[in-house]
Amino acid sequence: MIGSIPLGDVLLASGALFTIGLAGALLRRSAISIFLSIEVMMNAANLALIGYGSAMGTREGQIIVFFIIAIAAAEASVGLAIFVALFRHKETIDVNKINLLKW
Amino acid sequence: MTMERLVFDGAAALTILFAGLMVVHPHPVKSVLAVVVSFFGLAVCYVMLSAPFIAAIQVIVYAGAILVLFLFVLMLLNVGEETREREPRPIQRWLSAVALLVFSGMLLGLLRAYGASAPRSLPAVSGDIAPLARLLFSRYLLPFEALSILLLAALVGAFVLAQREKSS
Repeated sequence: MIGSIPLGDVLLASGALFTIGLAGALLRRSAISIFLSIEVMMNAANLALIGYGSAMGTREGQIIVFFIIAIAAAEASVGLAIFVALFRHKETIDVNKINLLKW
Repeated sequence: MTMERLVFDGAAALTILFAGLMVVHPHPVKSVLAVVVSFFGLAVCYVMLSAPFIAAIQVIVYAGAILVLFLFVLMLLNVGEETREREPRPIQRWLSAVALLVFSGMLLGLLRAYGASAPRSLPAVSGDIAPLARLLFSRYLLPFEALSILLLAALVGAFVLAQREKSS
């Protein structure tokens, strides 16, 4: 319990968000949309961390989420730069048409 | 059902609803905007979980910087709507069906265990930022400093990757 919010609610929201992100990453075809779905999955993990941290009465969860958000910013900038470079070479970011490493 | 829980559940429902909208909407710009709304809902959830600092970071860094970067790249590349494919992708559909099944299994298990676990009486964490900062700048000082080097490396990496190649 965090205040009057049961931990079950937090974990349920986190699980639902993670599942939606996973479905998006599997079903979308634009590389940027897949990347966005991965961000949603990362936020689901953040929500679970904050929930557990508050339920256990520590601040470590918030510290970890702080680091995760900073790393996500770095990851997003590099990932989007990769997409820009990819678009310059292939004129598309549709993952079905980028099959250089596909056997 | 207390007020706190009501607000948390409402914000969580909003978050999940707009995340679902992100998945089903074929236009990438609109799906990014749906994720912005979803992350605002998540920030409300963080406030309810007594983590106002993380909520502020979520709005400023995630909704304000990362998603705006997404929008910027989408408009730079002029990505259009995804067209419907002729043949469905069987593996992906199968995998998402498995993910949905796993989640509903988890949901059922959670609902069954709902009343079983008695809440432990733990000292509630206050939403103050000062103890968080004290922790961040004492025990986690080294990771914090390493993070600045990581961000610098990401900056240089993004610059090198997005640079136009020299025609030699």
